[in-house]
Amino acid sequence: MARPHIEPFVERNEDFKKMTMSGFGKGMHYKMLSFDTDTGACTMKVRFDSGYKRPPGFSYSEVEMFLLKGTLKYGDTIYQEGHYFLIPPGVSMPAMSSSRGCEVLLMYNGSEPDFVETDIDHDYADRARFAEVNSYQGMPWMAPAVNPPRTATGCLLKVLKYDERTHAMSFLYILSPEFWQDNISYHDCAEESYHIWGTSWMMQFGDLPTGGYFWRPPYINHGAFACKRGTIAFGRTDSELFNHFHFNPWSNAKENEERSVSRLMHRNPEIYNWIAQRDHNHPHPQDFEHPDDHGHSHSHDHDHGKKK
Amino acid sequence: MDKLGISHARNAEVRAWMKKETAAQKKRYQLIVKEQDDLAPKRDKWIADFLQRIQTRGFNVDADMMRIIKPEEIPTRPKRKFKVVF
Repeated sequence: MARPHIEPFVERNEDFKKMTMSGFGKGMHYKMLSFDTDTGACTMKVRFDSGYKRPPGFSYSEVEMFLLKGTLKYGDTIYQEGHYFLIPPGVSMPAMSSSRGCEVLLMYNGSEPDFVETDIDHDYADRARFAEVNSYQGMPWMAPAVNPPRTATGCLLKVLKYDERTHAMSFLYILSPEFWQDNISYHDCAEESYHIWGTSWMMQFGDLPTGGYFWRPPYINHGAFACKRGTIAFGRTDSELFNHFHFNPWSNAKENEERSVSRLMHRNPEIYNWIAQRDHNHPHPQDFEHPDDHGHSHSHDHDHGKKK
Repeated sequence: MDKLGISHARNAEVRAWMKKETAAQKKRYQLIVKEQDDLAPKRDKWIADFLQRIQTRGFNVDADMMRIIKPEEIPTRPKRKFKVVF
């Protein structure tokens, strides 16, 4: 099942659960926001009680953490709200503590939460990928996309993690007061968001308030969009976020996926042709906005597989 | 080993925890599907308003560039069940 489509979910309506798995010690509580039922990868909101302590150690999973509230200490350094960490698998972190308690978003990207007590990196650890930054201080807001189609004015972000190979991103974003955008969007990637503060609205799901969350698989319609008083949120994608805009409220994920391929065929014909002609794997994707548009010419004889 | 994780064995404690979380996640998914089904009358109204707005104020083609959608371009609702959660 992997991660199911969780949208919308408001964590403020739920109680924290005690983390009972070995290695995490006493004083760690969590709300599961989304969970990959195959791998155990997950996103949690976690509360560390005041006085929480953990020895040095690593996880077998890549971990991302965003400090929502309170302060947290690693080694001798105290980190404030808005701090973001990317901890590659097997990288040993110094002893962790929180004297007054704190709340974080905690993401295990490869497998279930785990903790191995040690002050030595795993043999496979890639420490060069470790990153930490305070996203609230000293980073400029930027427009989300340079290449069209872009979101409307009033949506800005700070990129915290960018994978040069997959184009996956983690980012802080804001929607300005009175933001609106009258189109329906979907992407070729999964998308995730947690509302740190503020309420935004989407035509499919209604209001997403403070503490609101979604994990949305690829090709699922969302929007039109509106935000009355502004929103600040933490977001992630698992590959490139490309905006496919349209105005058909009733298209489904399968149709959107096929439309994406059709659009790729027009947007990047060279790469599409390379993919399509390999072993004569020759799909003819349909765009529900252009049902009669075959898109390219060729001179061989086969069934184009158009839907009857 | 990939960027996301280092392979490792899961003990019985971890397997039991995952089983519990899997059940909870499936239950939450079903609840969300129901809540979203219950939202259908409101959503139908929001969609009708949206289809009206894009014919008057326009559709966001790129950023703030708007295009007025012609009545003949407005899609018709298919007969199949309309889902927003997949």
